Amino acid sequence: MTMPPLLEVQDLTCRFGGLVALDRVSFAVQPGEIFGLIGPNGAGKTTLFNLISGVTTPTAGSVLWRGAPITGLPPHRLNRLGLARTFQNLRLFDGLSVLENLLVALQRRPRSGALAGLLASPSHQQAERQRQETAWQLLEELGLSRLAEREAGTLAYGDRRRLEMARALATGPQVLLLDEPAAGLNPSEKDDLCQLIAALRQRHQLTVMIIEHHVPLLMRLCDRMAVLDFGVRIALGSPEQVRRDPKVIEAYLGSGSTQSGSGGAAP
Amino acid sequence: MIDNGLLVQMLIGALLGVSVYLPLAAGQLSLATPAFYAVGGTLAALLSTTWPALGAGADGSFPLASFLLELLLGGLLAGALALLVGRLVLRLQGIYLAIATIALVEIVRVAILNLPFTGGAIGIFGIPQPFPTAAGYLLPALGLLALAGWVCQRLEVMPLGRAMAAIRNDELAARCMGIDTTRVKLTAFVLSAVLAGSTGALAAHFLNTWNARQGSFDTAVTMLAFVILGGSRSWLGPVLGGLLLTALPELLRPVGDVRLVLFGLVILLGPSVFPQGLITPGLLERLGRLGERAEREPQT
Amino acid sequence: MIETLLQTLLNGAASGGVYALVALGYTLVFSVLGVINFALGALFSLGGYLTYLLMGGAISANGGLPGWGLPFGLPFPLALLLAAALTGLASLGVERLAFTPLRRRNAEPLLVLITSLGAGLVLVNLLQMLMGAEGYAFPATALAGLPDAVVLGGARIRSVQVLLLAVCAAAVIALTLWLERSRSGRALKAVAEDATTARLLGINSDAMLRLAFLLSGALAGLGGGLIGVSISLPGPYVGIGYGLKGLAVLVLGGLGSVPGAIAGGLLMGLAEALVPGEASGWRDALAFAILFAVLLLRPTGLLGRRLVEKV
Repeated sequence: MTMPPLLEVQDLTCRFGGLVALDRVSFAVQPGEIFGLIGPNGAGKTTLFNLISGVTTPTAGSVLWRGAPITGLPPHRLNRLGLARTFQNLRLFDGLSVLENLLVALQRRPRSGALAGLLASPSHQQAERQRQETAWQLLEELGLSRLAEREAGTLAYGDRRRLEMARALATGPQVLLLDEPAAGLNPSEKDDLCQLIAALRQRHQLTVMIIEHHVPLLMRLCDRMAVLDFGVRIALGSPEQVRRDPKVIEAYLGSGSTQSGSGGAAP
Repeated sequence: MIDNGLLVQMLIGALLGVSVYLPLAAGQLSLATPAFYAVGGTLAALLSTTWPALGAGADGSFPLASFLLELLLGGLLAGALALLVGRLVLRLQGIYLAIATIALVEIVRVAILNLPFTGGAIGIFGIPQPFPTAAGYLLPALGLLALAGWVCQRLEVMPLGRAMAAIRNDELAARCMGIDTTRVKLTAFVLSAVLAGSTGALAAHFLNTWNARQGSFDTAVTMLAFVILGGSRSWLGPVLGGLLLTALPELLRPVGDVRLVLFGLVILLGPSVFPQGLITPGLLERLGRLGERAEREPQT
Repeated sequence: MIETLLQTLLNGAASGGVYALVALGYTLVFSVLGVINFALGALFSLGGYLTYLLMGGAISANGGLPGWGLPFGLPFPLALLLAAALTGLASLGVERLAFTPLRRRNAEPLLVLITSLGAGLVLVNLLQMLMGAEGYAFPATALAGLPDAVVLGGARIRSVQVLLLAVCAAAVIALTLWLERSRSGRALKAVAEDATTARLLGINSDAMLRLAFLLSGALAGLGGGLIGVSISLPGPYVGIGYGLKGLAVLVLGGLGSVPGAIAGGLLMGLAEALVPGEASGWRDALAFAILFAVLLLRPTGLLGRRLVEKV
């Protein structure tokens, strides 16, 4: 019995004006795996995330969720399906407190009606208590409890990164897209992050997709990886396979290691 | 002199300030409030002067129940208009949205000016009074303000209100966290319209006459100033702004035309001098803590 | 029949020309600063009143200094140009007072919008204090020497409309040529396209910003003087109306597009002129209905650039 993969992209293409950001990229992500996405700058990694999360619409190709097409659905619908993401440049609700950032994401866990809220009805209070409880649990889990009342914009960088992840988690996703979660972290923080992601995957039964620049981190963490270069997928497989793939080496080091000529790069 | 008449006007200013505040709290700069204010006021003016069933007396009196009905109807009509227009308009971002709402205000103004039954440039006059003096309007105005304030206060601890604040901070992130931002923005827009419409109905009776000039671009500017000066982080800000800035030109009346210049100066310099308005987040925090301490104080 | 049509089209083109001037005023500042200068309408009024005063007109009985007038009276063309220049300077003042303090602080665009509204309000009310609130007709000598009407293609056309169109066209052509051919004009365009690169190329973007404000004010002032001479000045708030219509044209043509502002202005003017006389009260609403439609169907306007948000 074959179940469709949890998340799949097929021939995904994205063109901005004359520029091809993604060119017929395809791969599938299995439930429960940690899937890495690497490639040099400008390879199209964040564009891919934007397409998957509904922020941008592809020029061609499709995104499938459990075999059903979700291409072009708006971000909030995708989140309700079970897809959450973080942003490379961190998009926290800076004016809100850490706790409120999570409460926003916990809107529908559980839901409570507007009228109930206005009247402060028992059902609203009950739902509110549940949301608060979940929020505090997440804060605890991500080591942010002591910062709960602090304004998100005032946090230290490492804490902001963790809050961004906590907030995405708060939406109760099945798939978590992490866009460069280790950017700006020092080596020991990167180690902590690695362990955190693995633990989160376990505890919350997540499937994780990670874009990262710091390749060694992904090598340790990922079950499988895809490599993009100039919008084209040039490799797919286990970290070991990817590490030894000559096309990957060339993409990262340029054509210096072999003789010069066509650099293997798509226009 | 601050007499009852001025107090009612100040309350109307506060109400309109809250009306402008609501979409802003969801990150939307909408200058449409004057349009909804005009719609509500025109409806009340028309109904009370042309629908005998409402019971306008020959002596210019008007039953309280009919008055309250008009407040409701004014709000509902404005809300319906907002629902219609909002879906279209809220797709726009930033300055485009602001301009679209300015256009809406102008269209409504010209419509009221030119439609055969709205009295043209002179407007509708002789609007019957539910109260013998200005003081009578204080209670309904305060009541409306209390209602508006209660809704705003509740919003802060409700998913809807949090969603609005999230959108205000970062709309894209809010969408990615599962918030249907179009719906939330529309809700804020409609709430704002309902408040403006009811306020218009109240104002029409209070002012005794009503014409197209009641809802125009410069009133939008004034209301925006209420929010900017008062502070846009909490509904108390526009209330304070509305009260102060409505009183100011009246108190400065002896100074003559200079008062309008001073008024303009307040709007010009306000954002530089008080970038967060008078009711700053810091002040709110301190007020909040005072409230907590008062609750914890044992009863003696 | 043909005469009325021709007259209508010409009227439309003439008022369209004035709209284009205002829209160009907005465009210049918008393309460099990315914000809309809401004080432009007030500057329009200022230009009208300055033109009047420079022609030797006297302040009316309701004004601040009743009966006062300049001891000399310039011929209309000179008064117009001087008024435009002075309005340009006033625009610089607005920039200094309303825009610079907030720019320095990197304030939200909303706050900048408010302050420019405030500046406009101050200006309009100062004008009201000084000149009073009722209408001013320009001295009849303004257009002395100009025949009351010209005959074009067998139809009599009011010559003042021709004048309006001619001056607007001249201003627009001069501006366009300056932007394309002159060094400072091209520098301004460069800053509008990409401020960072322009600075790297040694262009002083602050100076270009001030230049944009200067020209924008001059254009608005020119429009005010032209309306004053052709129709009259109904009151200090006249500029507000033109300011709002200019905004509609700006959106119609596309924010930041010079040819768009010109085309949009003409289109708007013609559309308004074609509204039949019985519905003339609705003419004002037409501009905003068009604006509304444009925003909903094609927000970037006829020729504007699409703004893309970076994620």
